[in-house]
Amino acid sequence: MPSQPPLPPLLTPYLSDQPESSLTVISSVLGATSNWLVLRYLHASLSNTANSNISPESDGSIGSTSRRVVLVSFMRSWDFWKTEAKRLGLDLARLRDKRQFVFVDGLSELFTPPASASSSTVPIGSATHATLPLRNRPTPVPGRGPLAAGSLDRSAPNRPVQGDASNSVKLHFRGRGITALDAIEKDIISELDRQRASSDENEELLLIIDQLDLLLAATGPGLGIGATEMADWVMGLQQHAHATVLTIAADSPLIHNAATNVHGDRTPIETEHAALALGLAHRARTVMQLRMLETGAARDVSGVLRISRGGGWNGEAKHSLDEKELLYYIQRDGGLRVFGRGES
Amino acid sequence: MAPSNLSHRRTHNLLLISKLLSLRDTASPFTLLQDSLEQPAAPLVKEYIRRAKLSKVHVTFISYETLKRPDGVDAFISTRRKTPTEILREASSAYHQDTGTEPVRRRLIIIDSINPLLNSKTLDPGFHLPSILGSFIAPSASSNGRAEASLVVTYHQDIPSQPQRDHYSPPPLSMLTYLATSIIALHSFSHILARKAARDRSFVPPVFGLEEEQDGVLLSRLDKLAGTGAAEGVVLELEHRRKSGRGVLEWYLLPPASRYSPHHVKEVVTLLDDNVLYNPPKEAETSGGNDEPQSTFELGLTDRQRRDREGVVLPYFDAQQGDGPGEGGRILYDMGEEDDFDEEEDEI
Repeated sequence: MPSQPPLPPLLTPYLSDQPESSLTVISSVLGATSNWLVLRYLHASLSNTANSNISPESDGSIGSTSRRVVLVSFMRSWDFWKTEAKRLGLDLARLRDKRQFVFVDGLSELFTPPASASSSTVPIGSATHATLPLRNRPTPVPGRGPLAAGSLDRSAPNRPVQGDASNSVKLHFRGRGITALDAIEKDIISELDRQRASSDENEELLLIIDQLDLLLAATGPGLGIGATEMADWVMGLQQHAHATVLTIAADSPLIHNAATNVHGDRTPIETEHAALALGLAHRARTVMQLRMLETGAARDVSGVLRISRGGGWNGEAKHSLDEKELLYYIQRDGGLRVFGRGES
Repeated sequence: MAPSNLSHRRTHNLLLISKLLSLRDTASPFTLLQDSLEQPAAPLVKEYIRRAKLSKVHVTFISYETLKRPDGVDAFISTRRKTPTEILREASSAYHQDTGTEPVRRRLIIIDSINPLLNSKTLDPGFHLPSILGSFIAPSASSNGRAEASLVVTYHQDIPSQPQRDHYSPPPLSMLTYLATSIIALHSFSHILARKAARDRSFVPPVFGLEEEQDGVLLSRLDKLAGTGAAEGVVLELEHRRKSGRGVLEWYLLPPASRYSPHHVKEVVTLLDDNVLYNPPKEAETSGGNDEPQSTFELGLTDRQRRDREGVVLPYFDAQQGDGPGEGGRILYDMGEEDDFDEEEDEI
């Protein structure tokens, strides 16, 4: 099978064109994860100079503006993104050294107590253990290497700081409610501002937030954080970036239970997650929905990608947006094929 | 629907929607827009702003989910990390700042989504929705006099509401629909058409988007008809409560904004029943409306012929008189003057 271009021509217009202050929501389900799409966003934004041999029709749209990217990741570690990006021919470590790319680590030390107090006292240790299962949610990714389990397991608390990840920003959740969110927001915004200050006039700053629903799931109403607070938090970050892309889970139980059991028992996470996901979709310009094939598993199809206009699409003529439904297939080598139904 | 009724609705209800959207006579101080992901309220809100600009109404936009100030808005108020009282104060000060010395201007206050406010975790327990909404439209006590204000609030129907904190108070949506003087529910025109087509064939109407309850599907809107320009537009289901207490229910169609110029003054909204796609014109009927087959023979009856035919006593009536076997069952016929006597046929 011939190797595929990293950016499929069908997707290129969606990946490379984000108007100012637009929000793109990528919704995923357990069987159809969003990592590959996030990686394509990274590739479309960062590889304009490195790859001149991408498909000719994409040259005009990408070549005009270069981008800087800040990736905030709550579910995956730096190692994961680095390895996966390398398979696409994207050297994130080098780009990070060039300050074109910033990785904000929301996974490894989010709930780790501060270093001064971390002298293995019993209550603190139990608290970190309680949060770990939430973060290690197993998500099978088709066509991914065997690194997922290994890289996640190494994110044990009090792990010595690796030289590799030393200059990445790590988020910490302290306290409760809005104040805790504000602290995280401040950390991210300072990175965004630093990126913006060092960038040229025509460079666009793209903010990618991966699986921010983890933050909601791990804190929740008990800590005074709900969908409104999270959406507010996103809006605060959006104000500092040119465009924002975020991924969120849209599995049926998280979305539909709250709507169907209006009077019955619904858990706070069902209500809050549905409110957050739908609220963000109402706000988004583009909603990219990933799901599995309704007709069952297929050997040459990994899932379905439906691109729709969200509630925030305001009919602008300049950036038109075609709604589409496409099938995608992730090959064993990480290559991606995107095609319409009935085509191959 | 009888044509007279439709023309009556056309006159009155088109006037009504025109009055509501252009905020004339403060016909509706508090309008609730109920939208969903399948049909967001953005086109209608844009139309409100467009009309407000035409009639020089001061527009305040209170943003719970809009990042960028929309075109044509006079005051844009971000609500991030603000309490409702602060927002209220800011809205009124923005108005007074903009209209300091001018004569009284009408106001339009738009809240782009009320859900975040209702679902907020940081509200103090004394939060009372009706009084907050009421104080937006209540005439301010300043020297500026009475400015007529209209409030347009969007409520996303598909966002689940929080469990009630106070079990004795009604849920927020009930409260909002109770308070509103007009309720506009928005539907996508192509979905309405698909549902109608199914209903006309007695099929189960299709559902879209979240209602499909399919894993991973948030939105279904795929504009297959986009290029054709056929089924574009927003269907508005209006419920208006008049001051007299009488309610008006009507379905309208708002065409897409690209169909008319921003300075178009005449009414663009039409009745849904007037749309050719929704209500296709009946095929031309034959004049007279008689449903007898056409032929070269005269198949009808004259009045006299009909009377004579009714006068015939059919044989089985005669047979029931019980004159004995063999009697009865005869054909009794009184010959009229125009009848010919035919020996072979009329042999008795």
